[in-house]
Parts: sequence; C-alpha cells; structure tokens
Amino acid sequence: MIDPLRYRKVVNGVMTGATFICALAVLAILFAILGYIVAQGIAALNIDFLTKLPKPVGESGGGIAHAIVGSMLLIGIAILLGLPSGILAGLYLAEFGKNKLGRFIEFVTDILAGTPSIIVGIFAYTLIVLPMKRFSAFAGGAALALIMIPIITRTTQEIIQLVPQTLREGALALGAPQWRVTLGVVLRSAAGGVATGVMLAIARVAGETAPLLFTALGSHHWSTALDRPVASLTVTIYDYAKAPYDDWHAQAWAGALVLVMMIGMTNLAVRLFTHSRYSGTHP
Amino acid sequence: MLLLCLLILSTGGCGGTKDGAEEVSLQGAGATFPYPLYSKWISEYHKVNARVRLDYQSIGSGGGIKQLTERTVDFGASDVPMTDEQLRTAAKEVLHIPSALGAVAVIYNLPGVASGLKITSDLLADIFLGKITKWNHPGISAHNPGVSMPNADILVVHRTDGSGTTAVFVDYLNKVSSEWVGRVGRGTSVNWPAGIGGKGNEGVAGQVKQTAGSIGYVELAYAEQNQIAYAEIRNRSGIFLKPSVANITAAAASMSAQVPDDLRVSITDAEGPAVYPISALTYILVFREQVDEQKGKAVGDFLWWAIHDGQKFTGPLQYAPLPDDLVKKTETRLRLLSFNNQPLLHR
Repeated sequence: MIDPLRYRKVVNGVMTGATFICALAVLAILFAILGYIVAQGIAALNIDFLTKLPKPVGESGGGIAHAIVGSMLLIGIAILLGLPSGILAGLYLAEFGKNKLGRFIEFVTDILAGTPSIIVGIFAYTLIVLPMKRFSAFAGGAALALIMIPIITRTTQEIIQLVPQTLREGALALGAPQWRVTLGVVLRSAAGGVATGVMLAIARVAGETAPLLFTALGSHHWSTALDRPVASLTVTIYDYAKAPYDDWHAQAWAGALVLVMMIGMTNLAVRLFTHSRYSGTHP
Repeated sequence: MLLLCLLILSTGGCGGTKDGAEEVSLQGAGATFPYPLYSKWISEYHKVNARVRLDYQSIGSGGGIKQLTERTVDFGASDVPMTDEQLRTAAKEVLHIPSALGAVAVIYNLPGVASGLKITSDLLADIFLGKITKWNHPGISAHNPGVSMPNADILVVHRTDGSGTTAVFVDYLNKVSSEWVGRVGRGTSVNWPAGIGGKGNEGVAGQVKQTAGSIGYVELAYAEQNQIAYAEIRNRSGIFLKPSVANITAAAASMSAQVPDDLRVSITDAEGPAVYPISALTYILVFREQVDEQKGKAVGDFLWWAIHDGQKFTGPLQYAPLPDDLVKKTETRLRLLSFNNQPLLHR
C-alpha cells in the first residue's frame, strides 16, 4: 500500500515541477527570439541607422530614420482617430449599454477585434485609397485606428465595470449631474486601467505590417504629409528582408531590434505608469 | 469621428499642395525584380534633378499593373507585358517602357556538384513536369561527363505567389516543350505538376539552399547574392551558357527585329550563339495621356534619363543594359507621352 499522504506529496511535486518547466519553456522561447534579434540586429545598429535616410543597394551606410518617424506618424493618426471613439464606446457599454443595443455593439466590437488585419487593410484601401486616388499616411493611420478601437473599447468597458457602484451613488447623492459623475468620477478613477488598454493597443498596432501594405505603402523619403505615402518600420523590414542583398538583411534585423525596443518601452511605460500613479485606486 | 477625419484630411491636403509647387513627387509601384535598380535610380536621379521626388514600392508585377489601372500611382512596373485583357481594363492607352534586362537562373543544391551543371531545355521541362525524378538520370549525365551525379531524388521548388519570374520561366518552357503547353501553360502563377512551393524569390532561394537535391528558379541577383549554384542552359545554337550581362543583352539584341511597335515582347529562347535563353525585359508602365502636365513632364524626363544615363547602373546590380536599337525604339514610344494631346517631351 502507498501512503496516501506520500502519494499526494509526490503528485504535488511532479505537477509543480511540470508547471515550472512549462513556464521556463515559454520564457526560453521569448528570450530566444529577443536574443536572436539582438544578436543579428546589433551589428547594423548605430547613430547613422537611427538618424539617416536609406542609401541605395550597394552603398554602405544609411538608415531608417524616415521609417521611425513614419511609424510614429501613423500611430499618432491612429491614436487621434481611434482613442476618442474607443474610450467613449467603452464608457457607453459599461455605463449605459445594459440593453439590446449595448449587447449588439459588444458583439460587433468582438467581431471587429477578430478581423484579420489584412482585411482591415483592404477595407481602408477600398474606402480611402481608391477614392483619393493615392496611397497616404492618413489611410494607413485609419486602418490602424480600426484595429485599435475594439481593443480600447473592450478594455475600457471592463475597467469601468470594476469601478465600485458606491462611488457613483456617492457622487450622485452629492448632487452631481450624471455626465459629471460619468466623466469626472467614474472615468477618472478608471484612468489608469484605460491608459493601460490604450498602451496595449498602441503596442499591438505598432507591429502591424499587413494593413499598411496597401494604405501607407512606403517611401524612401522624409514625409509628414498626411496625403502622401509614408514609410513604416514594419513595411521597411519586410521589404529589406526579402531583398537579395546582405547589407539590407542586416538593416532589416536592426530595424526589427528598433521595433522590438519601441514596443518593449511602451509596455514598460505602461507598467511604471500604472504602478506609480494608480497603484492605490487601480481596480 | 467623420468630421475629425475630414478636418485632418483637409489640413493634410493643404500641406501637400503647398509642397507640390516647389517639387514634383512621382509615385511608382510594381515589380520586385528591378527594385534594387530603381532604388539606385531614385538616388542617382535626385542628384541630376533635385526638383523631382521619386518613390518606388516593390509590391509585385501584378500589383503594379493593378495600381496603375486604378490610377493610385503615377507609374507602374512589371516583368511581363500587360495582356490584351489588362490593357482593355486600363481603358486608356498604356505605354510599355523597357527599363532593363534580367535573367532567370536555374538554381540547384547538389553536394559535391559545383555551379555550372549543364541542362538542356528538354531536361528542364521534364524535371519541372516531374518526369525526371533522379539526379543520376542518364539524360543529365550524358551532358555532364566527368561529373558524378548522385543517386538522389530531385525536389522541384517553384513559386507559390503570382510572379513575373514565374511568367518568364514558364514562357520559356512553353516555347521549348509541347507537353508543357498542353499540361501547364503560361501565366504569373501556374498549376505546377511537381514539387513544393516557396514564397517570393527569397523563399525559393531559401528552400533550395537548405534542401540537398532541390532545383528551383530565381532572378539572377538572388542566385549570385546567396551564392547558390546555378545551371548552364543550352540555347538554340546548342551552346551551354550561364546567365551574364553580355548573354542577356545578346538575347534582347537578337530579338530586336521582331519587337513590335508597342514593345510588348518576350525574349526567351532567342536565336544566337551567345544568347542566354531565359532572359527577360522589365517594364515601366505609364499612361500615354497624362492627367497632370507637371507630373507627366517629370515622368517623361525621368524615363528618358533611365533608358540613357540610367543604364550604366545596371551591370553592378546583375541586370543588363538595353541594346542600342531597343533604346531607339523606346525613344519613339516615349515621345508619344502627352498632355491634352500635346507631346510632353521635345527631344
């Protein structure tokens, strides 16, 4: 006969070990990817790479500064278009959407969140690029905004639902009008969580390539005009990686490193932001 | 949100027009194959004419034709001429301006066998039809005395995506094999009877590089840059040749008598002893009647520069320059470029 207590302890030990190994495997994969990108990308990473325009193939040097600026421009447009509607939609769903319309919007948002990004790209191409007869930064930013909106909406909704009901009642009891309660009390106390959702949405779209291929297209020049094609880090990496030239491959790796660092810093900022300012009130 | 969009759009639009007064921006898109050459041209042409801001994106030959037809770009680019049907869809007359010559290399990975394996057109068709499945097939050995061919299976690697490279390669096989005509046919993507697929030139090059016993086809630059062994192909004169700048130009030169006025021509399987048989022209596509005088003039000037001064940049990037008589014919076509039915180039 096996001692039941001993048996339990053995099972417990084995299972704990198994979960530990699984966690280690996940971490190992993450670090393998990061390590490989750093190892491949660090060689071509220098000040010129971050501040100069690309050189044609066969000439060494040059950089992807235009793509870094372009990516930021695209994300900026996406935030401008996606942030207000995302947050307000989330607010509506949490505070006023306990009805058929609300459930319908929720359903549609989920479907939008699951739409493959290439489809969003084709959508923006058909609706913005074709009528304007030109590829543009605006079309690219709009496509990214469409990907951001459902992410922001759903996180905002979930965070706001966590705000205690007593807070609302208290504010109303003090004579504050409904709009004041919603914007000044509810949204404010959920601000940290909402900011996290926004940052995650930014990190998500920063790595998108597919919706930009047929909207922002790409460019070799400085450009901040909204009605012109603009370069982005992701599309530039894609272009360089499939070319036959070694120095372009090296630059693609360095570009990937820059992109990973940018997304990493965004995520880090989220952590610091939510910890320092809102650790007390954060639901 | 719609209001916000319009607001942003209008401010963006203003910024754009203000810039337009000082410089002309030209947007091109299309074939991947000449992308390195065009990116070189963009930087070189900027030194010649700083007022023109050129941009080119490599989205594939099919994409180039489509975007030109949709008029989202100022010029398109393609490795294959537009078909009659595509020209009908475009509605307005499209000029085909040859910009450079290139070649498709047949690459393989056979440990112990150096670059320069000799392959005839019949063998090539049979391999890609899946009829020859072993590397030590007597047909291959017969043309490669002294090379010990391994008793290994042949793995055919082809493109999965629509591509100008595929179009050129199967165009050649159509000319040399009647069985190919019946079973596979032409096009930018075909129903391959054998083998596995790779996406893009880089995909095929990667597959072949990793798999012993494989054979595939890529643009010459990919074979050279990746240091993959490539075959000598027997031309119509019975001579085995590797693709080179001289052999590719020879193919275009020998075809020049048959080049039609609209310059839509295939130069595969050309006649002549120094001809590499899987050569191709790559084109820049523009509408004959331009809708913007400034842009039209800028496109014309750029293309004129490209077919003359621009040709010296071809060699170092594994392309071949256009032969002189083709340049002459192209000049004639380029002079047709017009705005309001008035010619834009006065040369």
